[in-house]
Amino acid sequence: MLVSLNWLQQYVTVEAEPRDIAHALTMAGLEVEGVHDRFAHLETVVVGEIVSAEPVKGSDHLQVCKVDAGQQTFQVVCGAPNARAGLKAPLALQGTELPDGAIIAKGKLMGVVSEGMLCSEKELELGVASGGIMELDPALPTGQNLAMALNLSDTIFELGITPNRSDCLSMIGVARELSAIYGVEMRLPDISLPEDGEPVQDITSVDILDPDHCPRYAARVIKGIKIGPSPAWLAQSLLAVGVRPISNIVDVTNYVMMETGQPLHAFDFDLLEEGRIVVRLAEKGEKFITLDSRDNELEPDMLMICDGKKAVALAGVMGGLNSEINDNTTNVLIESAHFSPMSVRKTAKRLGYHTEASHRFERGADHEGVLFAAQRAAQLMLQTAGGVCAKGAVDAHPVTVEKAEITLSASRTNVILGTDISYDRIVKYLESVNMEVETLDQDLMMVRPPVYRVDVSRPEDLMEEVARLFGYDNIPTTWPAAAMEIHRADPVRDFGLKLRTALCGQGFREAINYSFVAADTPDRLQLSEKDKRRQTLPILNPLTEDQAVMRTSLLPGLFASVAVNVNYQNKDLALFEIGKTFIAEKGQELPTETESLCLVLSGANISQSWHGKAVRTDFYDLKGCCETLLAGLHIVDAAYARLSDDTAPYLTKGQCAEILSREKRVGVLGKVRPEVLKKFDIKQDVFVAEIDVTSLLEAVPEKITYEAPPRFPATDRDITIISDKAVEADAVLAHIRKMNHEWVRSLEVVAVYEGDPVPEGKKSLSFRITYRSDTTTLQDKEVNEVHEGIGKEVMSTFAAA
Amino acid sequence: MKTKIQELRTQALAEIQSAGDAKAIDELNIRFLGRKGLVNDLLKGMAKIPADEKPLVGSLANELKKDLQDAFAKATESFDSGNGTADAIDVTLPGRPGKVGGLHPLTTINLEICDIFTRLGFDIAQGPEVELDYYNFEALNFPKDHPARDMQDTFFVSDNVVLRTHTSPMQVRTMEKQAPPVRVIAPGKVYRCDSDITHTPMFAQVEGLVVDKGISFADLKGVLTTLIHQIFDNKTPLRFRPSFFPFTEPSAEVDIGCVMCKGKGCRVCSQTGWLEILGSGMVHPKVFEFVGYDTSQISGFAFGMGVERIAMLKYGIDDIRKYYENDVRFLNQF
Ligand SMILES: [Zn+2]
Repeated sequence: MLVSLNWLQQYVTVEAEPRDIAHALTMAGLEVEGVHDRFAHLETVVVGEIVSAEPVKGSDHLQVCKVDAGQQTFQVVCGAPNARAGLKAPLALQGTELPDGAIIAKGKLMGVVSEGMLCSEKELELGVASGGIMELDPALPTGQNLAMALNLSDTIFELGITPNRSDCLSMIGVARELSAIYGVEMRLPDISLPEDGEPVQDITSVDILDPDHCPRYAARVIKGIKIGPSPAWLAQSLLAVGVRPISNIVDVTNYVMMETGQPLHAFDFDLLEEGRIVVRLAEKGEKFITLDSRDNELEPDMLMICDGKKAVALAGVMGGLNSEINDNTTNVLIESAHFSPMSVRKTAKRLGYHTEASHRFERGADHEGVLFAAQRAAQLMLQTAGGVCAKGAVDAHPVTVEKAEITLSASRTNVILGTDISYDRIVKYLESVNMEVETLDQDLMMVRPPVYRVDVSRPEDLMEEVARLFGYDNIPTTWPAAAMEIHRADPVRDFGLKLRTALCGQGFREAINYSFVAADTPDRLQLSEKDKRRQTLPILNPLTEDQAVMRTSLLPGLFASVAVNVNYQNKDLALFEIGKTFIAEKGQELPTETESLCLVLSGANISQSWHGKAVRTDFYDLKGCCETLLAGLHIVDAAYARLSDDTAPYLTKGQCAEILSREKRVGVLGKVRPEVLKKFDIKQDVFVAEIDVTSLLEAVPEKITYEAPPRFPATDRDITIISDKAVEADAVLAHIRKMNHEWVRSLEVVAVYEGDPVPEGKKSLSFRITYRSDTTTLQDKEVNEVHEGIGKEVMSTFAAA
Repeated sequence: MKTKIQELRTQALAEIQSAGDAKAIDELNIRFLGRKGLVNDLLKGMAKIPADEKPLVGSLANELKKDLQDAFAKATESFDSGNGTADAIDVTLPGRPGKVGGLHPLTTINLEICDIFTRLGFDIAQGPEVELDYYNFEALNFPKDHPARDMQDTFFVSDNVVLRTHTSPMQVRTMEKQAPPVRVIAPGKVYRCDSDITHTPMFAQVEGLVVDKGISFADLKGVLTTLIHQIFDNKTPLRFRPSFFPFTEPSAEVDIGCVMCKGKGCRVCSQTGWLEILGSGMVHPKVFEFVGYDTSQISGFAFGMGVERIAMLKYGIDDIRKYYENDVRFLNQF
């Protein structure tokens, strides 16, 4: 909200620099987000005197003027009909930025050089007149800065009012704060007015059919007004706080709203059928055209202001087109009402409105300020539009509001704040913001906040008042006294940290992607129909189509990361992400959130250097990473098996495996299908491993038990067989393991070879077996015997025919 | 003959010079000075030379033998002591490249914050990112149809379920499970439907909650001052100013003196010299009522901060969207 310092000064006199006032407001809870010089745009606008004005050849309205700017004379092309020699008018020099954003530069119009611009009131935001250039008092010194010449100066504060402080959504509200902060008197405007018309009750009536939604409705009537532009002071005031002047009557309603915080509406009284007001809920299927010409479909719980026959306003939100003030309006009914915040908010939200009025009603207007605002508006309308005001106001008031009564303890206040503020001082602070305080005993007081403080209803609310007036800065800085206690750390979080550290050590960079993805990602991953990852959780109001559902896999995000990097020419990638995936479950309000880990390798695993050529990443690089990770976690029983089901249809069939621990799957890894990558705009090979963090954590041994290093030496023997190409190394190893010889300690694949002299369709596999006994040093002869036995068995089982 | 001796000397010295290690020197030694070595071979040829030249050639040959013995001794010694230059390589050539990984900067800052609080004796809690309206709003004193809800642009999953807009639901979830005293922080991802140069639809927050007998606003100031001084430095000024959050009363926004311009005013702080960094306040009694705590006995404070903003200030990152793009030229810097 914009607040004009000049305007505030009507109600309160504060002798301080604008910057200091801004700071004081901020520290009292009204955050000043910006401080502006209202007339900054006039810095290079001077009082110009037109020396001569000649028509531009070939134009029916342009004139070329010589304009004296004091030090210098400029040539200016001007289209205003009132530009004439001898006239003094505002001259915007080159470089001036007008409020509409236009920047004055030297240029040519119809081939004639123009070195500045003669401006209208409207162009300088000094008023509404736009018919010609602004005619200045001939007595003003030529060449003087315009703001100085017209004695214009004002500071505009840009306030961020928090939703609880609806009482500060007005000049008077902010002035009240200043009065409390600076301890100065408040001056409310004198609102006396002549009421020369007939009694208002004889002219109109107000019937509130729904007092829950409308606890109060006041109306005043003025007859014989004349619609016209607002006087300068009124237009100026509104422009200063960012409200566009329209006409005297409408401007007064806006002015009084900005002044008091009470939204008002003015009806053309002659357009109200039966000349009366009825407040009721809308009927089902009812339609209503608001003054922005929108046709609104109403719902039965929306509150409507009606005349004797039809709806004329959307209560608290916007007036109707059918009763709008227009150029022919002569009789006016002023509405100053109180609507329930909930009702206005619901209606405005559902119809997509957010108006100055709805903003205030939603947050809570001043139930007791209704009559004051109506009278103030009537007074200013008489001043600016003439007419005769009917005697008195209709004040339909079916519900009265009692002031809240809050018992506050001074000692509890000091405990909560950590302060030592005296009882009397607390009373003083509360009274400075217009609370009534009644002493109950040495510690307790009864406090009645003013009705407009809709945010104050509990002792804690009063404590905040005390704290902010005492000054948050003045509250001491202490440490909580606390007993020592320890709770078990969250194992999943700790494990995540361990994984992150390990993967960083293995050369992976941590990525973080958004948790939402496009709705078609399951299709792009070619997931099967029954795949759980198809159970995405849609967001009802996504920002973009790419962020429409919660992710059920980390892959799409990491694919996007790969695509972005390849696009930036970062082609060699080792990334990981740890984060949640979300599976929507039927009959479950919240989705199942699973902590997942995903590794990605792409591009070169070893980049080219003087040591050698680049080596492309392959399946075994990624498998090695997984093995290293698991080994580091002491998971010694991990197994890798060909993936045969359809859990990872996005991986190429020949190059994918599942990672098992004690027969339970902890993850899968493999090469991503090129056709899938294409759907994520990736044109290079990508290898991924997906690991379920919880399953992996379960695979980690609970404790480490030390074993003494062997006392007797080990000895190695190799074995080589020629087998069919389809034989998997692990099958051979498993077979040897199954033979379960006590001396066999470890098995290793040492060579795999295909090609000459190995026949087509076959391969040569070499294994190394390590033998060791726990009780003796093995002799070559006995090892050879065992080895031969194993060799024979392996040959007979696996050797190619 | 004289020439041959000279040639052999040159050859031997050159080979000693280029020998790579002690073993090669030994082999050369045998080849030149061994019983069947080149020097002896040469001496065997002495028989054929004229008698008058014999003494001179003999002494030259002996000289050669002695010189080579010296050279071998010297070479062997230099290898053993590691002072040799014969095995010198170009040490300025790059080594075989290893791989350097690293944590995302948001994780690093997150861990740093968690570390400060665990040192102070706080627990760390985590909770769901898709959250019930009850925990995200209702129990935090954001009634339905209240304008305070406009403060947080919410992603909805259904009428009753939202993507959590802050980590504050963890206050309620923690207190539901645990009787006072409570000292907990809850880091995590949060979501708001807002996206521009200063907002991403997902971002990271850390929530904090302290509940016990006699906890005061002054304590809140103390703990948050410590936090900021640990994250930045001991001289960073702080400013607490009144604000509004439905779940705290009194509420305070915490500003720190701009770490970029040291309070002089710059683009980052919009010329104010201050940066908004934390929201905080004394836990609202309504929140305590929701979890069944006795408000006459206990009190507490809560706070929340954005991790991106802190990382931005610590590292000078100027575009928040960079955090979630995962450009390795960005990631590699942390
Ligand atoms: Zn700064």
